[in-house]
Amino acid sequence: MKLKRDQLTGAVLVILGIVVFLMTTTFSIPITASYPGPRMLPTIAAFGFVVCGLGIFAESAMSKKEEKQFLAKEGWIRVIVTLIVIAAYITAMTVAGYLIATPIILYVLTTMFAKGSQTTVKARVIFSAAVSVIIFGIYVYAFGLTLPGGMLFG
Amino acid sequence: MIEFIPYILSQIAQPFNLVLLVCATVIGLIFGAIPGLSGTLAVMLFMPLTYSMQAGPAVIFLIALWVGGCSGSFIGSVLLGIPGSASSVATCWDGYPMAQSGKAGKALAIGMVASFLGTFFSALFAALLSQKIADVAFAMGPWEYFSLCFVAITMVLAISKGNMFKGLASAAVGLLFASVGFSPIDAEARFVFDNMYLMSGLGMTVVLIGIFGVARIVEEYGKGFGALPEVDTKSIKGLGITVVEIMAQGVNIIRSFLIGLGIGFLPGMGAGLSNLVAYSSAKNASKTPEQFGHGCPDGIWASEVSNNAAIGGSMIPMAALGIPGDSTTALLIGALTIHGLEMGPMVFKNSGNVVYLMFATVMVCAIVVLVLQALGMRIIPLILKVPYHFMYPALIIISFVSAYVDSSSLYKCGMMLVFVVIGILMSYGGLPTAPLILAFILGPTLESNMLKSFQYSGTAVTFFTRPISCIFMVVGIACVFSPLIRMIIEKQKKTKA
Repeated sequence: MKLKRDQLTGAVLVILGIVVFLMTTTFSIPITASYPGPRMLPTIAAFGFVVCGLGIFAESAMSKKEEKQFLAKEGWIRVIVTLIVIAAYITAMTVAGYLIATPIILYVLTTMFAKGSQTTVKARVIFSAAVSVIIFGIYVYAFGLTLPGGMLFG
Repeated sequence: MIEFIPYILSQIAQPFNLVLLVCATVIGLIFGAIPGLSGTLAVMLFMPLTYSMQAGPAVIFLIALWVGGCSGSFIGSVLLGIPGSASSVATCWDGYPMAQSGKAGKALAIGMVASFLGTFFSALFAALLSQKIADVAFAMGPWEYFSLCFVAITMVLAISKGNMFKGLASAAVGLLFASVGFSPIDAEARFVFDNMYLMSGLGMTVVLIGIFGVARIVEEYGKGFGALPEVDTKSIKGLGITVVEIMAQGVNIIRSFLIGLGIGFLPGMGAGLSNLVAYSSAKNASKTPEQFGHGCPDGIWASEVSNNAAIGGSMIPMAALGIPGDSTTALLIGALTIHGLEMGPMVFKNSGNVVYLMFATVMVCAIVVLVLQALGMRIIPLILKVPYHFMYPALIIISFVSAYVDSSSLYKCGMMLVFVVIGILMSYGGLPTAPLILAFILGPTLESNMLKSFQYSGTAVTFFTRPISCIFMVVGIACVFSPLIRMIIEKQKKTKA
């Protein structure tokens, strides 16, 4: 039997609730009737996860409604690729700094996002460079904040 | 209040602050107008820019983003039939048909004037009422504050459409995130895994931009961007609205204004609800309800006056009690804390000048928005033509730059990426966003007041023996179960039918 999306969500929430609850048992101050202490808030969250998880699971199991697809396979691939590109951006900023990493990643992202629409390489290059410089100018010169310099140049 | 006027004038009249105000208003308008973005997102994204500012300019900047966002949301509703944000859903119902019938200019003009009236006068009311409510709030103890926070979170659950369990689960996620770091009062390290970045808790910027900004963009890309919408700017000719027409809407305007102000005032609610309530009230009161939904000006007036009146309404509990009226004011409370402004009754004594600057900024912004929209009536709709493949990558970069600026650490960027994944998974599971925002931001206040209450009285019974606290607790509990109660009533009605 194929698990519905909501059933999966419910199951994950129940597991999360149990994990959070077990973690709260390691806290040094216990919950008492006269003082709930630091365990109370995460315990409420854990209790919420378990109750809601069971509720979502049960509702989904009883429901005969067809679930809409969240993302197609290609969509998931696009999401994962974007996340990898963002991870690469963070790594690139760590190594090479904002000014080198940003125009490159902006170009990659605009090219990915523009698939199927009419844009030229020139437009994307100009856009990537211009936006990187504008953001740098606003943050660094207008507001006196610092942006990553990178290990290579820091 | 009058004694603060010189300070307010000195702040707003400063050229730098004035430029800041206009720029932030324009940014807010753009974020408000484009479906999928919102004034809330603009506040989230640009909040770190204010870290290096003094309290005055920071308040001006953040408030201008918020007001611009609220006032711009009707543009998408009128020209595309897609609301810029939840606050303009009802505007679509008459604004879009009106634009389709060649009266886009008139529909936009109604939106502009209605937004102005709602924003300006609600801020005036907020300025007049907040101090009085703050005086009353001095009598409130931690029991009342706890129960108020509780109501704020649960009210969002009560109005959230669809699954009650999902709304509650989202609030539980917010509470879990709020638990990370050292606990209040007892300083117990929770969920920190010996990581020094987690000791001080999860940053608001990282969590909220990750989950609501970047995650949404990545998800949109996963779903595939549709073709750019067709925007008809040819039918926009002049304002097309007269003073007589405005006067004829007097009753509708006042009613919608009071609805917006009242709903905005209720903790946890805001423009997203007020526009729907005002619209249905206008329809019920109308002699020609059949015209609603077919380009009736009354519908646009009702929706736009009320959603903007919620601005002032939500500022009252924000300033006087430190309790947010909606998710944007929740963000603002967090952002202003960074500038040493702890919202609540004491703020009027400690930083009264900045609080009144906040109200004054809303009023000035309302005027600036009106002028900008009137002058740029033909240009502003072009915002809707900005291609997604340029806009979204730029927003992703700004998001990660904001995460870095938050603590000058790339670790926060990595952390944000984790929250992007969490945001996508939450969306996959269909968990709504508003309960998480409120629970995450109110979590620390909720917890510290709960612990203080127990320290003072040593029992939970006191929450129900103190009258105000008891009322809030009962309302909060009723809100938690309201979807269930509604479901039972609906089933009973169906069975009877």
